[in-house]
This record gives sequence, C-alpha cells and structure tokens, in this order.
Amino acid sequence: MAIPRAARPRGSARDDRARDLSGYLFVAPFLLFFLLFNVMPILFGAYVAFTEWGILGSPRWVGLRNFTTAVHDEWVATAFVNIGFYALIIVPCVTGLSLLFAVFVNQGWPLSSLARTLFFAPNVVAASVIGLVWVWVLDTQFGLVNRYLGLLGIPAIPWLTSTRWSLVGVSLASVWWDLGLAFVLFLAALQDVPGELYESAAVDGANPLRQFWHMTLPEVRPILSLVVTLQLIATLRIFSQVYVMTNGGPAGSSSSVIHYVYTTAVVRQLMGYSAAVSMLLFVVIVGVTLVQRLVIREQGGWFRSGA
Amino acid sequence: MTQREGLTRRTFMKTVTAGATLAASAPVLRAGSVAAQSKPVELVHWSWLAASDGEIWQQMIDNFNAANKGKAVQIKMELVPEEQYVTKLLAAAATGRAPDFGWGTAGLGAKLAKDGVTVPLDDLAKQVGLDLGDFADSSLKAARYPKYGNRLYLIPMDLMSLQPEINLDHVKEAGLDPSKFPGDEKSLLEWAQRLTKREGGKVVRSGIMMTGSGVHPTVTWGIVAEQLGFQRASDDLKTACVNPEAGKQAMQWVLDLFDKHKVSTREVTDRYKAFGTGQGSIFWTGPWTLNGYVKQGLNFATFPFPKIGQRRVTYFEEGGLELYAQRDKGRHEATLAAVKWLSDNSFLWTTKGRGASPRKSLLARPDYKTGGHPWSVRGAFIEGMEFATVGEIPVVAAPEFTVYAGGNFLAKTLETVWVGQKAPDAAMQQLKERWQKDLDEG
Repeated sequence: MAIPRAARPRGSARDDRARDLSGYLFVAPFLLFFLLFNVMPILFGAYVAFTEWGILGSPRWVGLRNFTTAVHDEWVATAFVNIGFYALIIVPCVTGLSLLFAVFVNQGWPLSSLARTLFFAPNVVAASVIGLVWVWVLDTQFGLVNRYLGLLGIPAIPWLTSTRWSLVGVSLASVWWDLGLAFVLFLAALQDVPGELYESAAVDGANPLRQFWHMTLPEVRPILSLVVTLQLIATLRIFSQVYVMTNGGPAGSSSSVIHYVYTTAVVRQLMGYSAAVSMLLFVVIVGVTLVQRLVIREQGGWFRSGA
Repeated sequence: MTQREGLTRRTFMKTVTAGATLAASAPVLRAGSVAAQSKPVELVHWSWLAASDGEIWQQMIDNFNAANKGKAVQIKMELVPEEQYVTKLLAAAATGRAPDFGWGTAGLGAKLAKDGVTVPLDDLAKQVGLDLGDFADSSLKAARYPKYGNRLYLIPMDLMSLQPEINLDHVKEAGLDPSKFPGDEKSLLEWAQRLTKREGGKVVRSGIMMTGSGVHPTVTWGIVAEQLGFQRASDDLKTACVNPEAGKQAMQWVLDLFDKHKVSTREVTDRYKAFGTGQGSIFWTGPWTLNGYVKQGLNFATFPFPKIGQRRVTYFEEGGLELYAQRDKGRHEATLAAVKWLSDNSFLWTTKGRGASPRKSLLARPDYKTGGHPWSVRGAFIEGMEFATVGEIPVVAAPEFTVYAGGNFLAKTLETVWVGQKAPDAAMQQLKERWQKDLDEG
C-alpha cells in the first residue's frame, strides 16, 4: 500500500534517491563493461550483417543480400544440419550420463569422493586440449578406442577421417568434456532432496527404480531443465573441439555454424556475411531454447505420471 | 614543507603548460626522422612462422638485435597465427597500429596492396641501397601485382618448392636402391607399392603419405593437374580453368592413390607427425620441415618431384618481408634498412631455415652447398626450384585459388571429391564458375 506523501518521514525521498544512486554506482562498473563488450558488439554485429565489410574502411550497406546468400549457401546448410545432429547426440548423452553419475556419487559409497573429482576433472581442462588429446585417443590406426574395440573383435572405426563418423568422434570428446558441469549441478540438486522422502517411500515399499522415477526426477526437474538448456545452447555453438579435431572436415561433415563463421570472418575477412550467419544462428538458438523450455514446462507432471 | 610552499599558482601553471606542450608535440617529434632520434627505435615485426623453421627465424632476429645493439634500431618480433594474420593485420592497420613489417607470401597480397596496407618498395630499396639486381628475376616478378601497378610489395627471403622426402630406413627395408629415386609416374607408383604396408587389405604404412582431406590432397592435385596441362587461370588472368579435362584427370589420379593403387590411406590426420613417426614413406612437403626432421634424427633424403604428366612442375612458394603503411612514414626507411640487413645475412635462413635463396650472391657462395643442413635433404629443394612454377594467381581473390590450403574454396570443393560426395565433373564445374567470377571481379 502506498504511504501518503504527508505521512512519509522528512527526507525520505532524498534517502531513496541516495539509495538508488548508490545502487546504480554499484552496478555501474559491470554495466559499463557489459555495454561495451556485450551489448555494443551485438548491436554492431547486427548492423554489419546488413553490410559488406572487410575491416578496412566503412561497411557498405547491402540490405538483405548476406542473408539470401547464406540461405542458398550449401556449406551453411550443412553446418546447421550438423549442429542439429550434435545436439541430438551430445545433449541427451551429457544429461543422462551426468545424472546417472550424480546419483551414483550421491549414494556416498566408498571412493565416491574420488569419483566426484574424476567426473568433474575434464571440465577444468581447456576444450582445445581435450580436442588434441582425443585426436590421439580416436586415431584410426593407433588410438586407444579402436585398440579396445579391436579386442572385442570390432574393426577399426575411422572416427575423425570419414564423413560417416567424424561427427560422432567429435561428439564423444564433447560429451566427455561437458559432463563435469552438468554432473556438479545434478549432484547439488540431489543433495537438496530430503532423505525422509526416500525413507517414507521405502516404508511404502517403493523399489529404488520407482524412487528414482517418482521422487528423484521430479525433485531435480528445475536443474534438469537448466542443464538441458545450457547444454543445448553450448552444443549449438560448438567450435573448439571441431576446430582442433577435424577443422570441420572431411568435406564439411563435422563443421559447425560457429566454425563456419570463424572461417568466413577470421580467415576470409567476410565480416558482413559471417555476421549474417551469426544472426541466423542467434535466431535458431532463441527459437530452440524457447520451444525446449515450453516443452519441459508443459510436461511438468510427466515424471509423476503413473504414480 | 618548504618545498610545498614553493609550489605557487604560477609555478603550477608553468608546469602544466610545459607538460601540455610536450604532450601535444609528441606526434610531431615522432614524425621526425627516425635516424635523428637518440633513443633506439623498436621496429615491430609480425611473424607466423611456427613450424621448425620458426626457431631459425628467431635466431635471425636475435642476430640482428645483437649486431645492432646500442645502435638506432632494434626489432621486436611477435608471433601471430598464420590463418589469423591478415585479419589481425587489417584490424591493426584500420586503427593505425600496424606492425612495421611482417612475413608475407608473394602473390597472396594483392588485396593488401590494393588497399594500401602494404608499402611499394622499389624506391625505398634504392634509398637504403638494397641491390635488387642481386635477386632472381622470377622472385621479384612473383612479388609484384600486374593488375595493381606492378610495383614491388615484398622483399623475397626464400624460394620454396614441394619435393618428396623419403624415409631411407623404409627404402632399405623394401630393398630399393636409394641412389635411383623415382623420376616418373611409373617408377613412383612401383616404389610406392613396394614401400606400402598393409594389414588385412588396409594400408597401415603409406607408400605415398597423404591426409584424407585438407592441404595435402589439394596441393597434390594442384601439382599433378598442372603437370597434365591444367591452368587455374589463363596467363592474362581473364579465363578460369584452362583445360578442365586435365584437372579432372588429376582428381582421379589422387583418388586412385587411395582407392585403386592403395598406396595411401585417408586415416592420416597429422601429416608432419605421421612422416616423423614412420607412418609414411614418401611425403612431398616443403623445406620448412627440414630443421625438425634433422633435429629429430630421422633417416631421410629428398628427391625432385617426379614427372607425372607432360611436363615436370611442382608447387612454388616465395616467402618474404612486406612493409606496412605507417602514419610516420619516416619509419619505412629504417624498416627497409633492417630488412636489407636480414636479407644480406640470410645465409643461415636459406641453409637451415627454409629455401633456396633468392639472392644470386648467396647461391654463388662456395659454402652454400656445404653450410646448414646436409645437401642430401635440402638439395632437391634448391635444384628443384627450376621447375617449381605452380604458384599463386596474383589477383585479389588469390587465397581462393591457392593449392596449398586446407580450408579455401578449392580445398573444400575437392574434399567433396575425395570423400565421394561429388564427381570430378561437378567439382570442376563449381571451380570454374567461382573462379571465373573471382577473375571477373579483379
């Protein structure tokens, strides 16, 4: 309820202003850098997308030409299809495996502290280093993976050198790298679930599988939504692993949109065109994220169904 | 305290005025003759040499700085990744902070010359006494852009060609005669067959080592195509894809190495490491690899690229130093004087770093063959220069034409052939359309 002006103590308006000012001063340093290094580049990128620009001189306005060229560019189409496949492989794998590992560690079994460290460890290593290591791990002739597959009688798979497998090879490395963060988020969520719930469920005769399905999953649903959203956005922007492991090849079979943007901007200096492709990716990411959040919200009671 | 009392308003104003005057005059002072400055000038040099040749180049810069210690000019070298080099250079130039000089490849800098980022050097060379007559004519020709005034935009530092290196342990093991390296297609394929190792039908050691995509199959195609009579652009730079049938034949030749002769495997990802670790026997590459393999103790030799088509040719690349436009034009002369020193003292660079030397006087030195790395590994790179003609197309879109590239339009188009997504006919049609457009645009 609003306090009548006459009822306010003297000087309160000045106090409010002073408080507001101090608040603005506190956020000012962040806001300044945010505007300079986030908002302005985005706005400038949006402008450049409608121009032809090679860094020197002023951008030349070309209207929608960059966008129409991008829509008809077979390499752009390939890159967008590829990130779709990356998302289909990486997001479910990271989400499922990290949840599984978190549940495992949360049991507090012997060596679970060590397991927690091991599951998170890859995430602290730079993506480029992960890529370099996995190039060797997935080498067709001398790689560890093929060596172990060979012991099982499975012939060597050209993980990074064939158009059929390159995307899978890059995805394997990405899943290994991305697991850590999702794992930690799930573990934190699991530790917030009250132990009494499980005790009650056990008394009611629910087996561990039913407990997981009807109690654990609904409890971690907000984090699940967060993990899926973050992972989806990260996967749609995949770059470092692609750049280091395959450079998008062979024949563009593992390329990604950001890799293509990098190539057109940094290697070929087609700033306007690469900005246009970036904008298309931005629209796709926003669209996919909205749809995905809508689906998760709509299916809020999904985990409880059949209870 | 007494000192503080002495700081009157007048003294303060005087100090401020003097400071402001000094600050305002700084650009003027900077624009004055570099030579007239008492403080040593630091020239900023950008380099993208990151292979084993980079160590030798670092020595060259260190030698310059040691020889000029206490004198007017010192060089500060900064390493910039090759594929980001032009973009960073343009960004630096746009903000007026371009380095003084840097590494360039002759024929690829038409856009930089057209946009005024690089500086024409003919007159400057005369000013600093650099004897252009001592350079091979072809090296100077490659550093000019006929469509953009035909002026000299790069001081050649080395001339490079692609020649086959061969693992001598493998040669011995296969019972081949190391004094008779293959000189034509037939003997090359025979040697490759003898050197290839297969397990269960799969190549585990390539007779001819190539990667399945990227630079290596592209440059192999480029060399073989021109040997068969293909030209990416006509001599007058007006028509793209002269004799396309030869280009398609060359695509098939590369495919056959993988699929018909089975002397190469697409499974190789890092060609330099693969050759160094014995995963391949014959590897055509450039002199920039020599320092690394020699230091590693690899038992190898180099021989001239075989004649596969009607005429023996191989890839040509010319590295050199280019000067970038500065606000203070006085720096150009000092920079070219430093470049002159580096060129005059490039014996180390062209015997241990890379190249043949473009300087006639260096090539004529009696110790040119005995200095640096053994002649058995570098001789072919020097003697092979006489047929190294597959160079750059000196137009603005040159990077899209170059055969030594892994991510340009040519490489990406050819990749679709190597993996069987496109037939050579379709790929050639695509190349012709794109390149013709590039040539038409100048």
